[in-house]
Amino acid sequence: MNSTTKEILRITFGLTFTCLFAAFVMGAVFVITAKAKKYNEYLNFQEKIFDILGYSETNPPPDGLQLNQIYRYIIEKDQAKYLGYIIPIDSQESKQDAFELVVIDLKGQLNTRKQITLSTENSREDRERKIAIQAVLPEATAVIYADTFLSANLNSKRLAYLLPGKTPGFKTAIQFMLALDSSYTIKGLEILEHQEDPGLGAEIERNYFKKQFVGKTLKRVKTIDVVKKPLPEDYRNYLEPDPWKENSLSESKLQEIHDTYKNNDIYAITGATISSAAVTNGVKNALKKFTYRVQVLDQIISENKIPAAF
Amino acid sequence: MIESKQKSHSDIFLNGVFNENPIFRLALSMCPAVGISTNVMNGILMGIAVIFVQVCSSLTISLIKDYIHPRIRIPTYTLTIATWVTVTDLVLAAYFPVAYKSLGIFVRLIVVFCFITCRLDVFARKNPVFPSFIDALGMGVGFMVGMMAIGGVRELLGMGTLMGYDILGFRPLLFFVLPASGFFVVGFMMVIFNYTEIVYNRKKQRKLL
Repeated sequence: MNSTTKEILRITFGLTFTCLFAAFVMGAVFVITAKAKKYNEYLNFQEKIFDILGYSETNPPPDGLQLNQIYRYIIEKDQAKYLGYIIPIDSQESKQDAFELVVIDLKGQLNTRKQITLSTENSREDRERKIAIQAVLPEATAVIYADTFLSANLNSKRLAYLLPGKTPGFKTAIQFMLALDSSYTIKGLEILEHQEDPGLGAEIERNYFKKQFVGKTLKRVKTIDVVKKPLPEDYRNYLEPDPWKENSLSESKLQEIHDTYKNNDIYAITGATISSAAVTNGVKNALKKFTYRVQVLDQIISENKIPAAF
Repeated sequence: MIESKQKSHSDIFLNGVFNENPIFRLALSMCPAVGISTNVMNGILMGIAVIFVQVCSSLTISLIKDYIHPRIRIPTYTLTIATWVTVTDLVLAAYFPVAYKSLGIFVRLIVVFCFITCRLDVFARKNPVFPSFIDALGMGVGFMVGMMAIGGVRELLGMGTLMGYDILGFRPLLFFVLPASGFFVVGFMMVIFNYTEIVYNRKKQRKLL
C-alpha cells in the first residue's frame, strides 16, 4: 500500500489507542474514588441540613439526633395507582436499620405493608430502592420515584421536617430545602441550586429574602403572596445584619421587629419579581402537599401500629 | 531557529518563574488569574492543581514523544491534559472536599490553559524526561507565584486580611474583591513585574561592564 494510506492508518491507530488509554485511566480513577466522593456528598448534604436547622460550630447538634429519610413512590398495580412510602422502622432484634413499604391507595386507606430488605447505605440509591420494592411487589407494573422528606428526631420525638423541593423559576428549575418544626411552622429555607441572573434572581440566595420565611405559621403560608413593595430598612437590618457595622440591637428590639413583620407577605426582590414569586409559590405548594400527605401517613401508622422510627 | 546552548537545570526552572512567567509575561490563561484570585488561599490551591497537571502532562508527553505522529500531536496533548485534569478533579472531590468547594468549576478549566499545551509543544516534545520535568515545575511554580501575588494584593486591599488573618482591621476598598478589579490588578502587576526586570537587567549589565 502507498505511503498516504500508511500515514492515514498510523494516524487512525494512534488516535484510537490514545483515546482508549485515556478512557481506561479516567475510568479506573473514577471507580477508585467513587465511594469516597459519594460519602463526601452525603457529608455536604448533612452539613446543609444542620445549617438550616440552626446548628453550627458554636452550637453543635445534640447527640441523639437522628436523620430519617422517607421516600415516596408511585406504584401501579392491578390497573390502579397507589402511593408507596419506604419508612424506617424500629427493629427490636438487630441494631441495623430496617425498612418497610407502606402502600396507600388514593383514598387514604392502607392497601398493604411489607418488610423490605434494604441497608441504610443502599437506601440512598434509587436503583437499590426500586429493586427492593420490586422484590416484595412482583405484581407491580410501574414503580416511579416521586420525592423524599427527612424527619429529624431527638429521643423519638420529631424535632423538624426537611423537605427538598423544586419549582420552575425565571430561567430553569430552582431547587430548595424547606425546614419545618413539628407544628409545620417554617424553621428555615435554603436555596440549593438555581440558574437565575446574578444580581437579580440570584438574590434569592441572600438572607434578606430567605429569612423572610422563617417563623411563618402553616395557616399564614397557605394564603401567602408576594408584594412588590421595597423592603423596610429595619426589617432588612434584622434579616441580614451588616457584618461590618457594630449592630447592637437588643433582644427585645429584635423580637419587636420580628413581631411587626411576622404576618406580612413576602417582599419581592427588586427587579426579580418572577423569581421571588416562584420561590414563594414553590414553598407554599410544597408545604400544603406535605402537610396533607404526612397527616395521612401518620394516621395509617397509628391505626395499624406500625413501629415507625420517626 | 538557532539551537541555544545547553541550559542548566536551574536556568530552565527560573525561566518558567521569571523570563516566561505564564501570567505576567506570556499573558496566557488569565481566566483564573482574574476570576478566583480573590485571596491567597485560592491562589495556592489553584497553583498546586496546575503544577500537578503540568508536571504529569509534561512527563507523559516526554515519555511517549517518539510515538506521537506529528500530525495528531495537538489532539494527543489535549487528551493527555484532559485525562490528568479529570484525575485531579476526581481526587480533589473525593479526598479534599474543602479545597474542592472553594475552587468550584475552575479545576475543570485547567484543560483549556494555553500555556500547558504550549509547554508540551515547545519543550516536552523535544527534550528528555528530566529537563521536561524541571520546565514543567518552573512553569507551575511561576503560575502559583503569580496567583499568590495577585491574590495577596486583592485580599489585602479588598478585605484587609491575608490568608484569613486580620492585618488591617478594616476593609479599604470592596472593589478589589469584585471581578472587575482582577483586570486592573493583573495589568498593574504586569507593569511592575516587567519594569523591575528591566531595571534588574540594566543593573546586571552595568556590573558586567
